[in-house]
Amino acid sequence: MRKVLAVIRREFVERVRTKMFWVMAVLGPVFFAALVFLPILFSRAGGVKRIVVVDGTAGAIGAQVVDALQRTKFVNPDRIATGPGVVDSLTREVGAKRLDGFLILTEALVDSGKAEYRASNVSSFATNATIESALSRIANAARLERAGVNPAVVAQAQIRIDLATKKISGSKTTGENAAQSFSLAYFMAIILYMAILLYGVNVMSSVLEEKTTRIVEVLVSSLRPFELMLGKVLGVGAVSLFQFVIWGVSARLLISQRSRLVGQQGLQDAGQVFQIPAVTLETAAIFIAYFLGGFLLYSSMYAAVGAISSNEQEARQAQQPVNFTLVIAFMAMFALLNDPGSKLAVTLSLIPFTSPIAMPVRWAAGSLPAREIALSLGLLVIAIVLVTWMASRIYRVGILMTGKRPSIRELVRWVRAG
Amino acid sequence: MTTPILVVDRVTKRFAGHTAVDGLSLSVIPGAIYGLLGPNGAGKTTTIRMIMNILVPDEGSVQLFGGTGTARDYSGRIGFLPEERGLYPKMRVLDVLLFLAETKGVDRRSARPKALDWLERLGLTDWRMRKVSDLSKGMQQKVQFISTLLHEPDLVLLDEPFAGLDPVNAEVMRETVLDLRRHGKTIVFSTHIMEQAEKLCDHVCIIAKGKKLIDDTLGRVKETHGGRHVTVAFDGTQGNAPQVFADRRLVAKATDFGQYAELELAPNADAQDILKALVGSGARLSRFELTAPSLHKIFIDLVGPAAARPEAVPNQGAVHA
Repeated sequence: MRKVLAVIRREFVERVRTKMFWVMAVLGPVFFAALVFLPILFSRAGGVKRIVVVDGTAGAIGAQVVDALQRTKFVNPDRIATGPGVVDSLTREVGAKRLDGFLILTEALVDSGKAEYRASNVSSFATNATIESALSRIANAARLERAGVNPAVVAQAQIRIDLATKKISGSKTTGENAAQSFSLAYFMAIILYMAILLYGVNVMSSVLEEKTTRIVEVLVSSLRPFELMLGKVLGVGAVSLFQFVIWGVSARLLISQRSRLVGQQGLQDAGQVFQIPAVTLETAAIFIAYFLGGFLLYSSMYAAVGAISSNEQEARQAQQPVNFTLVIAFMAMFALLNDPGSKLAVTLSLIPFTSPIAMPVRWAAGSLPAREIALSLGLLVIAIVLVTWMASRIYRVGILMTGKRPSIRELVRWVRAG
Repeated sequence: MTTPILVVDRVTKRFAGHTAVDGLSLSVIPGAIYGLLGPNGAGKTTTIRMIMNILVPDEGSVQLFGGTGTARDYSGRIGFLPEERGLYPKMRVLDVLLFLAETKGVDRRSARPKALDWLERLGLTDWRMRKVSDLSKGMQQKVQFISTLLHEPDLVLLDEPFAGLDPVNAEVMRETVLDLRRHGKTIVFSTHIMEQAEKLCDHVCIIAKGKKLIDDTLGRVKETHGGRHVTVAFDGTQGNAPQVFADRRLVAKATDFGQYAELELAPNADAQDILKALVGSGARLSRFELTAPSLHKIFIDLVGPAAARPEAVPNQGAVHA
């Protein structure tokens, strides 16, 4: 056991000493920060559109439209009465980029709901939607009033709907809304996928390094191959946990300082799809449990891949089946998010090769019975034991072998041979 | 008779299509410097790998320290320098040494001063915090040599320890091996360079094609395979010396190296007659000496130029025989 500890220690210390580790430690939070701030930046990226409302209507409709657009903060409108040559001169203004566009209003707006927006860029959904919704509210109100409905009633009827979504977890209503659930599930899937892949491949290259430098001959003359593989997997696993701790702490700091930072940048904390979810203790526990399970399962497969390859190129090829399994687990996330309770979702969250990503995603998207989680974890543990056993047999023979890569049939023989 | 520290009992190892080691038996007594000699492809490395339990013999067994365990069970008492050297290229020299000592059951705290001592002794002190990959090949060899000995093993197995060393470092290596013996350690090493074996070994075992040809103390090998020998060195001109060498009444066998030659006397021949004949042949001699044969000569005689040819090494499995 002391020897295994020596291997764990070496893997950990040597890895944490590398520049790569610290690059990842810094890039992780940067990536995280980007996800927090970019939506805000993007929502402003288009900037405020300068447009002119060419008012060809009688009455107050034009002024109301300008007023409504002003309030959206996305559009900065001016009003001009219609007249000969106005459209032409405005077109020139747009051409000279002094103006983003102009909106032509006529009596047709109220009569038949027609208006025209001419601009250099008409593909901005945000701008189009803003204008459309402002126009339809005003047109509706005007029509109703024209039909003799009391303006107070119209105003009443136009109260905005605000659909609040709250997730029920266990039997408690949480403060978490749909956007938060989605982003939590999405984050967890991405991080699980990347971490399992990254650290699994780390185990593989470590095995390969010992094999190609031939130091493995010295090592196996003092350690059992299984001890060596175990130490490697646990050592790299410890590095990944350390990385997560760094990420976790910096993410927490970032979130707690978020409004201050946002305020300093003079940005509005609005219009974001990715909201910061509340990460509960249970969620963190599920995440860590499935990460460790997934890592142990996959890294022992990657160790076997490293053992049967004799150079980086061969290893890249031989790792494809393992990568592919992991990609399937990741891709399944999108199906899972749509309907976390579907038969497919349940199946994927029980199969050990997909459950490390599928189960945390389902958990984040909606609550799960404890029994299902226990079953999934149990199956995962059984798979880890079986796969590690098989991988260690392949590893044992593979690390001392040189020359061409073994065939599948040979691998089966290695696993069977006592 | 002391109990042998290492016994190899009729081991055989076959690889796809050829037998690397064929019923080989060895016995090494404590305190010996035991040379495992043979041409390339003779089965030296395969034998050492079987002793180290890296390969499992198809037949026969290996016994270490009079016990029943495998090399791994005694890893703290065995130092092993594999034929194909290798260290972690990205690790610092001192860290590699401490790690490898740890895998042999020595704790870091007591390994550290020993590692520093060794680095000092082999002139690598300034390199201790450098990465292994920054070191020259020769320096890496020394580091690996230290890692073999750091845990103070009783039995040291060195596979081709002199390969790739310059004369200065080969000398350092030789001194170190002799020093180990002075401290009561047992050394088994393989080589195909007979001059080195002759300087160091007190027991030699010559194998070829996986079979043992000789296994005895160096002195007795020279006696039994020696015959009577003469070494002749020329001072510029050989004259008609080759004709004398070819005279089977005087010379049973001659190995002509150009500047000098080793002659085996024919039965009943007198060395004085050869001297006379050589002087008569017009050769100018700088040396004429009655000698025991070199191990090199015995080796060539036994193995023969044909067997000395390296065998093709199949690429399946760890078969660097």
